[in-house]
Amino acid sequence: MPLFERLALRVVRALDAACHRLFGWRWNPLHQSGALACLLLVVLIATGLYLLLFYRVGTPWESVQRLQAQWWLGRWMRGVHRLASDLLVVAAVAHAVRMFAQARSWGPRTMAWVSGVFLLLFTFVSGWTGFVLVWDRFGGTLALAGARMMDSLPILSEPLVRVFQGERPVPGAFFFINLFLHIAIPLGMGAGLWLHVARLARPVLLPPRGLSVAGVIGMLVVVLALPMPLDAKFDPFAIAAAVPLDLSYAFWLPVADRLPAALAWTGAVLTFTAALLVPMLTRRARAGAWAPSVVDPATCTGCEQCPQDCPWDAITMVPRPEPRGAHSALVAQVDPSLCVSCGLCAASCAPMGVGPLHRSGRDQIPRIRAFAREALQVPGQVVAVTCENAAPGQLTALASRGAVVYPVPCTGNMHSSVVELALRGGAAGVIIFSCPPRDCRGREGPTWLEQRIYREREAELQARVDKRRVALATMAIGDLPGTLTAFTTFRQRVAGLVPPGLDPSSEMEVACEPPAPHVGAPT
Amino acid sequence: MSGLARRLVAGLAGLAGLLALRATSLVPHGDAPSHALLRLSWSARPERVETCRELSDAELAARPPHMRLRTECSGRFASYLLTVRLGAETVWTDTVRGGGLRNDRPMHLVRDLSVTPGQHPLQVSLARLDSAGVARDTSASPTGPLGDRGQREADERRRRAAEALPSLLVLDQATTFTAGRVVMVTYANEQRQFVLKTGGVP
Repeated sequence: MPLFERLALRVVRALDAACHRLFGWRWNPLHQSGALACLLLVVLIATGLYLLLFYRVGTPWESVQRLQAQWWLGRWMRGVHRLASDLLVVAAVAHAVRMFAQARSWGPRTMAWVSGVFLLLFTFVSGWTGFVLVWDRFGGTLALAGARMMDSLPILSEPLVRVFQGERPVPGAFFFINLFLHIAIPLGMGAGLWLHVARLARPVLLPPRGLSVAGVIGMLVVVLALPMPLDAKFDPFAIAAAVPLDLSYAFWLPVADRLPAALAWTGAVLTFTAALLVPMLTRRARAGAWAPSVVDPATCTGCEQCPQDCPWDAITMVPRPEPRGAHSALVAQVDPSLCVSCGLCAASCAPMGVGPLHRSGRDQIPRIRAFAREALQVPGQVVAVTCENAAPGQLTALASRGAVVYPVPCTGNMHSSVVELALRGGAAGVIIFSCPPRDCRGREGPTWLEQRIYREREAELQARVDKRRVALATMAIGDLPGTLTAFTTFRQRVAGLVPPGLDPSSEMEVACEPPAPHVGAPT
Repeated sequence: MSGLARRLVAGLAGLAGLLALRATSLVPHGDAPSHALLRLSWSARPERVETCRELSDAELAARPPHMRLRTECSGRFASYLLTVRLGAETVWTDTVRGGGLRNDRPMHLVRDLSVTPGQHPLQVSLARLDSAGVARDTSASPTGPLGDRGQREADERRRRAAEALPSLLVLDQATTFTAGRVVMVTYANEQRQFVLKTGGVP
């Protein structure tokens, strides 16, 4: 499985790099794949409601033909409905591949993964019913293929396939059932979506407004320029030839046509089972980089910041056991079954009382001190803090331009004291390169980091730090020029400042010692 | 690249992506067929092959009231030999039976046979293989210890016999097969014979 993960990650990185070059990281649709899928579901429901007004189960193809003749509305409504349904599959698959590649498919994310697999399955089923409703040649071919697959199971005594072979007209009840499923399944998917994001504290259900508007306009332009054609009505007495397949939903059909039904069923069941088993196959031992956060109750001040920052609602405040002495009434408690080890809490705690083992604020302090002693030998050096998921090529490019690269597991995980200590250790400036905000594996790392540095979110960068010597930037794969421009601009800015210690306005020389490490058993 | 040019490129790239997706939603599948199809498709109830005897009044009286049938039968459902001939060539022959593990369900047949286009003498025959002991049309006396129940039994038996396949069905007809089209042979329950369907002119 790690091999598949690495392969998938390579594909995701290559696609991300291409999208960053084309769209820029702010508009990379691949980062928004999950939210885009939700948006497309909304578009499908909206356009579907209009189509429903004109659809007739008694004359399915003819009613769609009448819709198609409405050049002013019906034609492009149907076109957008169809294109959005294709895009939904692409977005959902891209989302699943990204989650798999970034090892976001196991542990506390198991429910999200499993519900996602079912959501994708329901998307397919709903799509198939929609295509059958049109009852063009593709719809009839899908119905026949489905009937053949069902007939291969020893369930029904009368072969279903006979319904579609022209012996009798296809009953209206068949289209009614399809219509019912086509409406009921997407509504049920709403409940599935709730389950899918239930573990998230702040799920993002829609992409940025600009991307949403651009996406909808893009679909409109395509269907207006090239209307989605309506194929001929399904004729059971014609042998299917050059049937226009929709590969998003019928990618399996050319293969299934050539395979015995039993083999096709086996393939489908194995694929589905393998998808469901991914959380089990990709799970890691909860140690090292995957160790859940722990709380040091002696250090916890009960400030309630870490529960606010945790993207998975894994931290709650509970009454402190008696006797509490001079400590706060509440103390933070981490639920390891919900914690994904993102480590964002390590940076949210001013007294450094919470975080994953070996990655808490207290663990970060000696590391940056040692780094400063060893790497910051020459005055005027600029430290570039980077995420461990950053593109290795860009780190080399930064280093070749004089940056002193300081990699951290996640920049959202980094306590603000690290910045202060880097500056006190001799750095002329610290530039922090985060992943694009919607590509952060900890979900909210770059967001919280920005607020901690500039907006006094706990644990904020202390006022005594000269913020002109600190900058935030985004390091997006494939956007080396953006990274280098950000670095060069920052270095020039820092070079124009009076060296630390000589600037009378600087408060850098004010002593700032981190709290003494507490020795005690974490809870 | 200026901001406007970059946006333009991004917009065009997005449109190209959508166009590519649109193209994948209309991929032609299946080559133009050079053959025609003969489709055999029907559902029918096989004849019941059984041995019957009438129970005496004494035998009936010895049975619980809900088990009193004047005529008692035991047997099975018939099997049939299906033969399809195109001209002098037998293209398919098979023994067909009723559905279900005990073959007591209706016979459902679905079979497509590839045929060279052109006019062929088509002969489809379905002949019962079991020749003896087919259910008799017993007309029990409406009187006696069962009242009109005997009559109802006989009516039911007649109805079942009328619904069942005849012992021999034959379709013999010169038929034109067109490339890419299907000719269907099905069984019409009302007429109790094979009928040919072509779905009109393509």
